[in-house]
Amino acid sequence: MIRNLKEVKDNNFDITRAAEEVRNLSFNDHVCLGCGICESTCPVEAITLNAIAIDARHRISNDVYFSGHDKIAQNFKEDFDVQRISIDESKCVLCGMCSGLCPVDALVLTIDDVPIKEIEAYPHYNAFSEIDDDECVYCKRCEIACPRDAIVIERILPDRADLVTGEIEVDDEECIYCGVCEELCPAEAIVVDKETGKESIVIDKDKCVYCLVCKKSCPTNAIKAICRSCSYGEYDLDPAKAVVKGNSVIDSELCVYCGWCEGVCPTDAAKVKKPFEGSIEVDDDKCQACGACVDICQCNALAFPVSSGPGSRMEHVIAYDEYCVRCKACAKACPNGAITVTRTEVDHTPINSTTWKEALDAIKD
Amino acid sequence: MELKVNQDNCLGCGICVIACPVNAAISPENAGGNGAKTEEVIMMVENGFIKLFSPEKCEECGTCQMFCPVNAIWLE
Amino acid sequence: MPKHIASGLKYLAAVKLKNMGKTHQEIAKELSVDRSTISHYLNGSNLSWNSIEVARTITEFCPRDFLKMAFAVFDKPEESRKIVNICRIRNYDAIIEDSCIGCGLCVNVCMMKAIKLESLHAHADSIQCCGCQLCSDECPTNSIKILEI
Repeated sequence: MIRNLKEVKDNNFDITRAAEEVRNLSFNDHVCLGCGICESTCPVEAITLNAIAIDARHRISNDVYFSGHDKIAQNFKEDFDVQRISIDESKCVLCGMCSGLCPVDALVLTIDDVPIKEIEAYPHYNAFSEIDDDECVYCKRCEIACPRDAIVIERILPDRADLVTGEIEVDDEECIYCGVCEELCPAEAIVVDKETGKESIVIDKDKCVYCLVCKKSCPTNAIKAICRSCSYGEYDLDPAKAVVKGNSVIDSELCVYCGWCEGVCPTDAAKVKKPFEGSIEVDDDKCQACGACVDICQCNALAFPVSSGPGSRMEHVIAYDEYCVRCKACAKACPNGAITVTRTEVDHTPINSTTWKEALDAIKD
Repeated sequence: MELKVNQDNCLGCGICVIACPVNAAISPENAGGNGAKTEEVIMMVENGFIKLFSPEKCEECGTCQMFCPVNAIWLE
Repeated sequence: MPKHIASGLKYLAAVKLKNMGKTHQEIAKELSVDRSTISHYLNGSNLSWNSIEVARTITEFCPRDFLKMAFAVFDKPEESRKIVNICRIRNYDAIIEDSCIGCGLCVNVCMMKAIKLESLHAHADSIQCCGCQLCSDECPTNSIKILEI
């Protein structure tokens, strides 16, 4: 009979069924959110969600004690490493439901090397994230805010010389080569040779920012400044040369559509559409401030308020509703059941199959 | 996943008893560092060493392991 | 011996096709055998009655055994499929219910290639179905019903 083959590499694995068509399900541990949708969806109960909380905390705190000291090494479980999910390959039928419903690309089913998200018959979440290059000012705020380091902004700055509004010159007759200007110049644009007989002063015009510190500090008034904008008008200051250029890349494998980039973007460049709609609530009475949810959340949607000082008790965790993707990983991890996440809407492409429709409806509350 | 302790390493500091969110829900007095002995909690310091009383209540959040300065308590 | 059984099965298939009103030429083409052999078959020569008897017994096996036997006797799977389809003594209606998840296991196990996957739902061609029930045994959601008609 046809049997599934499993190949494990680190915490990732592949399950393959090679028959007339080759089906391959691959699991990417570092992409997994720990939401557990796959576990509840699997029609043959082949998937188990593992201890996500301790894994997430291990990734964060590896070797570092919470107060920042190096953790005492004795008895430290160096080899601690778990797969976030396990799949029993003898039960798995490679139907792809886990892959189709995975909100990220942690589980990917390919049929003859084509991922099902490129196959129209399979449902896909209507979600996207994009950065409009026309609007983007390449400030990199999104790159810093992105909780999964999925954004890379490359920016090309204009030449500094093109932004400078004037030039300076030295009157060799007046200069006494004292070196005061060299020491004070913030742009390190002046080099003075003070050796007797070889005295010289050189100004690097590419470095000079026309701050006039040299002119103001010169004891002999040997430095002459010429302002471009008043002496020549603005003709040699080309605004086109002053523009910051660049490009932006969002790694679609890592992006969770949390919306941080859109939230911090000072222009309208970053746009995010989440796959799920819903809400997140923290029950303050039940929360014991252990922080498991904070460490698990891949969207940085949970945080503790800033401490008011030494000896103050850690307050209850706060949820940022606008950055939550309703994945429910936190609610599953909370030891006290203090977090309630609801998923009210699941936006997906139309689907003919009754069972798949039911499975997609089942992840709604 | 199972909660384990190593009494040889334990300093008896009790930070795990206080940090454990399940302990705090079961016995807020103990989580405050000043409660009567109860075997209802997951773990407690006894005679200067950590001892597991109700490890089956552990929800595997890993808070104790994160806070323990010497790794005398961990999930495996 | 397998060669003899193969010839026996081909003989039975030829007779069945003849009864369906096909010409010798059509039969020869259908079974990929040359015309003179077909003529010999249908004139009752060149074949031992013993082989035909064995072949007939095989067709009366339960559908799965017949199918597996046919695959063992012929070299080419297409040939086996053709013989099974012509010689099977019963017809089946293969029904795939809405609970199908589209995993494709049935497509893989069906030796008759009677099942295709379309829009995440398996579709069975009842004309090709030999009633072996390999598919319904494998189906993780018990969505396949094979009915004898």
